[in-house]
Amino acid sequence: MNQPNASSSRDPLPYADTKPVGAADFYLAINATFRFVLGKFGIEGLRQYWTDLGVKYFAPVTARWSAGGPPAVAEYWRAFFAAEPGAEVSVSESKDAVTLDVKVCPAIKHLRAQGREIVPCFCQHCYFIGEAMAAPADMTVRIEGGNGSCRQTFSRRAAVTAPQDLAQIKEARC
Amino acid sequence: MLGSYDFCGHYEWTFEWFRARGGEPLVREYWDEAIAKDSQTHAAALISAKGIAGMKEYWAHTLAEEAAGYHCTATEKVFRIDMHECPSKGFLIRNGLAQYHDYCDHCMGWIGPMLKRAGFVVDHQHNHCGKCWWEIRATSDAAPPSEPGKLSGEPDVRLRADWEQPTPLDTFRRANDPDDKTTS
Repeated sequence: MNQPNASSSRDPLPYADTKPVGAADFYLAINATFRFVLGKFGIEGLRQYWTDLGVKYFAPVTARWSAGGPPAVAEYWRAFFAAEPGAEVSVSESKDAVTLDVKVCPAIKHLRAQGREIVPCFCQHCYFIGEAMAAPADMTVRIEGGNGSCRQTFSRRAAVTAPQDLAQIKEARC
Repeated sequence: MLGSYDFCGHYEWTFEWFRARGGEPLVREYWDEAIAKDSQTHAAALISAKGIAGMKEYWAHTLAEEAAGYHCTATEKVFRIDMHECPSKGFLIRNGLAQYHDYCDHCMGWIGPMLKRAGFVVDHQHNHCGKCWWEIRATSDAAPPSEPGKLSGEPDVRLRADWEQPTPLDTFRRANDPDDKTTS
């Protein structure tokens, strides 16, 4: 079982490190992992991997969203992107929704800087993981854009009827 | 989004996701194919081209970026790392994350095959508490691993009072494979 750290009642991030931001080279491993899963299990297998991550690994985040609603969602994403090297993201919230305006995606930025071949469906992971995290908290996410910048909106589930159109999420390229 | 800040958490979780679907062979394949041959191609390129000088260059960058507590020793024949505070195992311990049965094997899982292709073998021990040491020599060099303190001096992690732990100590001798180990 994943257990949140001892300081989780104060830290918006359930898993805390001693350094303020992550190491950008880990984006290389994330991209490589997606490519490996895609090669082994196909696109449905990759989407299942993302969904399992959202449901299981990120369960402590979902618990906070369930308890705190949109303010907890906004608090999480502000802390999350503050810890990602090179991210330029603004987070805005209303009573029923939280919007992430991702001006510079740190992962795509670093993968490009390193000249890596990016898995074309890379940006879909934000939808499948985000939706798996949000659904148990009675929320849902919709994403537009990708390939380095996008807009992600987390809303109350009842307020959104149309499913995510995956065509609205761009393929990622070097 | 999957982040770099807690990467070691979802990386470790992913090992168990693979093990549940394809057993240990799939985990080993992941470490070699995805990490050694894809993610860490820059390490393989540096070490294949420059040998021990490439190791110094690669690990100086990556261990500094990960904020590790470590000491490196290099001669013309051997490259040694004494890891006093492994940043990734430390992250997992502090956060109580343990999905896969032996996270520490992932290092030998990708570094071992990568070094084999570059012509090197590894002597290595890890104590599963964030402390380990590595000695990397050319495959043609039959020299045994150093005695504690003889190569790296005081920073030799084996001289620490907390080196021996109740947790198992895994030992690799002239190895390139994560399963080529003895446990005591």
